[in-house]
Amino acid sequence: MVANRGEIALRVFRTAARLGIRTVAIHTDLDATAPHVRAADDAVRVGSYLDVDEVVAAAVRAGADAVHPGYGFLSERAAFASALEAAGVTLVGPSPAVMEQMGRKDLAREIATAAGVPVVPSYALDDDPESFAYPVLVKAAAGGGGKGMRVVRSAAELPEARAAAAREAASAFGDDTLLVEKYVERGRHLEVQVMGDSHGNVVHLFERDCSTQRRHQKVLEEAPGPTVDAGLRHRMTAAAVALGKQVGYVGAGTVEFLLDADTGEFYFLEMNTRLQVEHPVTEAITGGFDLVEEQLRVAAGEQVSLSQGELGIVGHAIEARVYAEDAFGGFLPQAGRADLVRWPSGPGIRVDHALESGQVVSTSYDPMLGKVIAHGPDRESARLALLRALEDTAVTGLTTNTGFLRALVASDEFRDATIDTAWLDRHELAPPSADEARLLAAWASAYAASPAAGATGGRATHPFQADGWRLAGPPAPVVVELDRPVSVEHARLGVPGTVDGVPVTAVAADELRPGHEVVLEVVLEVVLEVDGRRRSGVVDLRAHTVEVVLEGQRHVFTRPDVTADAGPAAGDGTVVAPMPGTVLDVRVAEGQEVAAGELLGAMEAMKMEFALTAPYDGVVTAVDAVAGRQVALGARLFEVTGTDQA
Amino acid sequence: MTQDLRSLVEDLRERLAVARLGGSAAAREKHTARGKMLVRDRVDRLLDPGSAFLELSPLAATGMYGAPGETPVPSAGIVTGIGRISGRECVVVANDATVKGGTYYPVTVKKHLRAQQVAADNHLPCVYLVDSGGAFLPLQDEVFPDREHFGRIFFNQANLSARGIPQVASVMGSCTAGGAYVPAMSDETVIVKEQGTIFLGGPPLVKAATGEVVTAEELGGGDVHARTSGVVDHLAEDDAHALAIVRSIVSTFPASAGFETGAARLPRPAGSGQAAPWEVREVEEPLEDPETLYDVVPADTRTPYDVREVIRRVVDGSRFQEFKKLYGETLVTGFAHIWGHPVGIVANNGILFSESALKGAHFIELCNQRGIPLVFLQNISGFMVGREYENKGIARDGAKLVTAVACSVVPKLTVVIGGSFGAGNYGMCGRAYDPRFLWMWPNARISVMGGEQAASVLATVAGRPEDEELKAPIREQYETQGSPYYATARLWDDGVIDPADTRRVLGMGLAAAAHAPIPSPSYGIFRM
Repeated sequence: MVANRGEIALRVFRTAARLGIRTVAIHTDLDATAPHVRAADDAVRVGSYLDVDEVVAAAVRAGADAVHPGYGFLSERAAFASALEAAGVTLVGPSPAVMEQMGRKDLAREIATAAGVPVVPSYALDDDPESFAYPVLVKAAAGGGGKGMRVVRSAAELPEARAAAAREAASAFGDDTLLVEKYVERGRHLEVQVMGDSHGNVVHLFERDCSTQRRHQKVLEEAPGPTVDAGLRHRMTAAAVALGKQVGYVGAGTVEFLLDADTGEFYFLEMNTRLQVEHPVTEAITGGFDLVEEQLRVAAGEQVSLSQGELGIVGHAIEARVYAEDAFGGFLPQAGRADLVRWPSGPGIRVDHALESGQVVSTSYDPMLGKVIAHGPDRESARLALLRALEDTAVTGLTTNTGFLRALVASDEFRDATIDTAWLDRHELAPPSADEARLLAAWASAYAASPAAGATGGRATHPFQADGWRLAGPPAPVVVELDRPVSVEHARLGVPGTVDGVPVTAVAADELRPGHEVVLEVVLEVVLEVDGRRRSGVVDLRAHTVEVVLEGQRHVFTRPDVTADAGPAAGDGTVVAPMPGTVLDVRVAEGQEVAAGELLGAMEAMKMEFALTAPYDGVVTAVDAVAGRQVALGARLFEVTGTDQA
Repeated sequence: MTQDLRSLVEDLRERLAVARLGGSAAAREKHTARGKMLVRDRVDRLLDPGSAFLELSPLAATGMYGAPGETPVPSAGIVTGIGRISGRECVVVANDATVKGGTYYPVTVKKHLRAQQVAADNHLPCVYLVDSGGAFLPLQDEVFPDREHFGRIFFNQANLSARGIPQVASVMGSCTAGGAYVPAMSDETVIVKEQGTIFLGGPPLVKAATGEVVTAEELGGGDVHARTSGVVDHLAEDDAHALAIVRSIVSTFPASAGFETGAARLPRPAGSGQAAPWEVREVEEPLEDPETLYDVVPADTRTPYDVREVIRRVVDGSRFQEFKKLYGETLVTGFAHIWGHPVGIVANNGILFSESALKGAHFIELCNQRGIPLVFLQNISGFMVGREYENKGIARDGAKLVTAVACSVVPKLTVVIGGSFGAGNYGMCGRAYDPRFLWMWPNARISVMGGEQAASVLATVAGRPEDEELKAPIREQYETQGSPYYATARLWDDGVIDPADTRRVLGMGLAAAAHAPIPSPSYGIFRM
């Protein structure tokens, strides 16, 4: 049984199926028809993926011999491991004791120190904050994945950061114990994959570099580390194996290190006692070493199948995490129906995903939609292959970070491997221009409406057809209503035309999803030559919007809504829910005076907190937010009337 | 008269290009500077993106109302035609405010009324884009009082609406005096904010009449009419918004054709967007490119050629099933399809004799019996004259043809592809015989008889048969008045067309005609 959902459940099922192992999925009501449920031989409903008792009961009821926890959810919960043990079901992973030790950062530090592994200098919470060498990092002892982490640059900021981190930690892990550590400004995140068995063997599968992070969330991961030389590799992998042996580690684990780019020193951060999201890059560079297969074998009491000497590095691999988030719109998580999903394929490309066309993505679970992994003989070829794969990735109906990933992979900084873990927090990537996407949107709209497109295959159908015919004169251009009117001339394949005055020639326009005659709702893959360059995009034509996915970036052009009643205009003083979620806190009351930027309240969604602040100095004239209440995207929460407007 | 067809078409294109500009550069500049769209841009934006548009009589008023050779009122200051809005064919009537402020000259009125006639005949919804200062006052005697004058516009609106033919107006500029009734008489009306005005009397008239000083906006601006007076139903931000609102209004019209209130709806064939009183097939291109017409039609109308060469280039698959091929050979009759619509074609292939007239009458009866639209390809110098023919009663046979044409209930479409002289014009469904549409080729000639014949007749009647001084001006008059541009200027037709567009234009006419049901045929007395 896999006590997980999404791409990782599918990933485990694939290996299990190959090994002839029957599989069981668990699912909530929301996931009743999710891909992982359909991929399994059997499925059991649970109320929550996080409910230890329920998930254990499901395993027992399904008659599972072993439970693979995937990552996230209960994968590092010692209580879960214990409960499974008690129920006589094997956990694919280390023992509850090891999990407990490694899961607590304070204990893990002690063990690492005992194993001779360098650790980040730390402070006791009750030490005098004035004595800390800032910046420091406040983090949850039970944590992971960046939740409950705060960088603190002065003693004054410390109390607030501690409170916030504790709150997040309590909500995410049910444990608000915190740690304070030295914060390395320009660090690289390196981690070593280890695999141990119950016979005392621990091997490593080299390192991964996950330095491209945003707010401690990994964005790009690669193996081997681009800045790691043989000496560093030797020291770091030896440290990881030593740690694994120290605790008698069984199964797949990852020892994370922080490499100080300025000094070349590395420190132990933590050990993840589970399979990592980014494990495919390791599989790619170890010649297809199947980590899940190895996990299952080790869990069944077998020895690690390869000795250290048999393992070597083949080429380079990079993984990009595709999230349902608007990377150029404050990274807000996105929910909705992914109408058309096209994942890339090709030599050296691997995609682990659980997102199909038509699937609804909710904010209830992790916003990761899938992972695109490219493998090549060297780093640059892997990078270029990944670039192309991201350009081929298209999701309509839902904004993803693919365009952002593409821009990141294309950047000089990533090419030169100079991105440290805080780089993305210091730099903003410029959003891709909508101009070329608009050309594609307009051309496709004009083409789809013309007799040149569709089932008629360019034959004349009706004398009033949309070919712009005029009495003894040049055909009228087609004006396409997008965010602004765009004029299109000669929207035909292979014929030079213009869009918005720009000369273009269409090379291809293939229906990815056929439309029907009247409404002209159709999804086309359009290849236009603009300025001698080919631009290929997926265009989703609908009655009220045209969506274009160009180089992974989704652009939505909304046609003007003629019937929209201007109504009571939502002025700048309206504070709306930036995303669907729950109101956490309401700090103001009607009639209260507020200053620009003052906190009005907070809401929580996707396990992240959002501060709702006053847009300008003024008076709160409406409070619709109620703590604890679910709100929809765009719902009015507060209204502030500016002082100078009153 | 020996210019070849290609150069005549070139001339037509040039004339149309000039007419399409509308008013003077200064007037257009002033118009657009106020944030208003030019009239043809409005029409383009009103229609479905890329929709074909069958403009009617774009060369109306050519050479009228000004010094010789000048056209101060291009297109008569009004654009009319048929195009698709929200997927359905509609008649559009749009004032061009860059031409004399969009005021109504006599031919403007005629053109407006003609567009309403097209809407009435073919059951097409009407959209009026109003931007007009009303009647052109200096010519009020030719614009205001008569039956077919300004008032008829509103009479038509009321009666079209009564027949269930929707009337929609968008006020995009001034709409003064009588013009105020266009929106007021419409079923649903849009006005552009701070641009459209509607009032019976403008501020100067109000001041003169009552002394009240008021701005145009206060008197009858968009806000007033949308919020206070209720004269309009929708307030638009600008031209584009107004046109978009009109499009959404049209989208609410009932889906089936046959707007006749209470009348049986026409059946809607499966898979077709349009109901039709006849079966519409899949479209097939002719085997020969219509542009090859330039090579088969001699420029001089007096040079005979086989009209079947024209038919081959107009009909679907170049397939023409002839009727009575061996009888009355100067009139070619037969069945074909154009853009999938069945048609009965009646085409001149020489002068009309009794046999040809009888054959034509028989064929027209067939088409009426079978509900097949008629297409007349007119190139006729007249009926045969002379004692033998008169004595045998050619007038009687001609009358049979004229009766059959006059009483036809199926849609008739006429194209004058050459001469249109005398009673031949009647027998071949000239303007007086209510064809749904009538177009002329640029080589066409139209008059009661040829200029030479008229000069001789008049000189003979005057007793001076050889007097060149008498004959020359008559010949010149006929030459001028026989021109298709003289004809189209006066709305004797629906436009001069490029011969290569004949097939397309006929297809559009048929598609428009297919919206109206066909009544049962009945005829007057055929003189036997």
